[in-house]
Amino acid sequence: MNAWERMTAALEHREADRVPVYPILAGATRRLIGADYRTWATDAKTCADAYLKAVERYDLDCVLTLIDLSVECEAWGQKLVFPENEAAHPDYSAPVIREPEDYDRIEQIDYRTGKRMMMHVEVVRMLAKTLKGKVPIISFVFGPLGTLSMLRNQQDMYMDLYDEPEAVKRAVKNVAGTLAQYAGALCDAGADAIMWDTLFASGSIMSKPMWQAFESDAMRMLAQTVREHGCMNMIHNCGQNIYFDVQIDAIAPSAISFLYPPDDCADFAACKQKYGDRVTLIGCLPPTGAVYGTDREWDKLCREQIDAMAAGGGFVLATGCEYPANADLKRAERMIELAKTYGVYQTHA
Amino acid sequence: MELKEISLQLEAGRAKEVKALVQQAIDEGFPADRILNEGLLAGMNAIGVRFRNNEVFVPEVLIAARAMKMGANVLKPLLTESGVQAAGRVCIGTVMGDLHDIGKNLVAMMMEGKGLEVIDIGTDVPPEQFIETAIEEDCQIICCSALLTTTMNVMGDVVRAAENAGIRDRVKIMVGGAPVTAAFAAQIGADAYTPDAASAAEQAAAFCREMKEKQAV
Repeated sequence: MNAWERMTAALEHREADRVPVYPILAGATRRLIGADYRTWATDAKTCADAYLKAVERYDLDCVLTLIDLSVECEAWGQKLVFPENEAAHPDYSAPVIREPEDYDRIEQIDYRTGKRMMMHVEVVRMLAKTLKGKVPIISFVFGPLGTLSMLRNQQDMYMDLYDEPEAVKRAVKNVAGTLAQYAGALCDAGADAIMWDTLFASGSIMSKPMWQAFESDAMRMLAQTVREHGCMNMIHNCGQNIYFDVQIDAIAPSAISFLYPPDDCADFAACKQKYGDRVTLIGCLPPTGAVYGTDREWDKLCREQIDAMAAGGGFVLATGCEYPANADLKRAERMIELAKTYGVYQTHA
Repeated sequence: MELKEISLQLEAGRAKEVKALVQQAIDEGFPADRILNEGLLAGMNAIGVRFRNNEVFVPEVLIAARAMKMGANVLKPLLTESGVQAAGRVCIGTVMGDLHDIGKNLVAMMMEGKGLEVIDIGTDVPPEQFIETAIEEDCQIICCSALLTTTMNVMGDVVRAAENAGIRDRVKIMVGGAPVTAAFAAQIGADAYTPDAASAAEQAAAFCREMKEKQAV
């Protein structure tokens, strides 16, 4: 099987020849072509070349075009900082939303005015020229509440949810309008799926009813937009106790990429049992394991994930969040190797 | 009035009400330490328990902490006047290279809710600054926070800096943050890892109690 067939099988809940594998290699790919982080994060050709190099070198089963969490917010004028060896982030001293009244300044804008969103679309277009139909391209988009948090700051935004709920909701709706255009453009450029980062739909942050009140309607609309563009929806959420149930209801994702078991499952095996026939499970190796601990411990973590969730298909072995951008890539290689050996399905052994 | 009213309003995050009730309690002659313990700290303690049990979440903790701060500001002059001592002193920061502060802020708020005095030295803090602050402010505990896998190693540098400065036997070093684990804490020689802000506050309060008891002996 090639990568496309293997991922298709996993998404259709069938056993492929082996477990598909994707260490979430994003910022780390820059090192494969000797690019610095800023260039990788701002120049479409550099970024696309790095991803293509990663596919070629590691025989990856998909590509997740994750640049950083500040791609979207830049379009609303958020000033960013581009560190030499780290992901870009907002200039925390200069948020666009300084006071709750500023939420009403967040309008639905044309995504094409956002340089970084346009760059991401271009990256996908470049990747599709080589990979379309061979290696699935999944594009990462920060959800509307997440994008809004990059324009405010998380701590203040959380309090605004109580102090100024209607203002936040209006801004979420406007941001979502822009993200819908953007996601559509990514699909048209060649993405096979949009992976929405719904960071806030987890017990790490807010209650289930609060997430439903503030983001689920917007996510429902966004998911529908992606479907209308002929693409799949996926979710990424690396929080603890993530809310599978309400997100499945709102988004109907084909797959969920996660790090911890959801709030209504005791462990990964229980998650497989409860949700394994409804969504493809992607994960859930802790990225810290790529940096700390022994090789033997890392191998054990990989095997445990395969043991808990691979049976019957519907599983992709992946890190539960981005593979650390500056970490040695040996453990990424090792997890790929284990997917190819330990992850072979018996019908194909 | 009953001091429990302060605690209940605090749990609901109603800052203005808490401020008014604290003032009312003062006017009615309640001693400052009782207003603090039975009103503000009791409310924050209840929020901590509910947070650990996943009954309330980050936004609820933040608005409760804001309410506590409003109440504490009214009470502060009286507490100083009556010589009420903090349960211990903690220096807290996010380690060098890391600008994320919400986890650190939550821990600081929860610790204040345990009656600890918290010296927040911010984000991107080099190891030496943790040590200098701990010495200058006579802290019993150093708390290091990190959100990034790339920065958590700095926590080990803080432990080594404390050893080199000769203060390791008189400060406890606690670590936490999304990528941090108990195994990592043990590996770098920290005294404790806690998985959430409420547990961190409880652990810090327990360390301070232990250290006070040792000193008393």
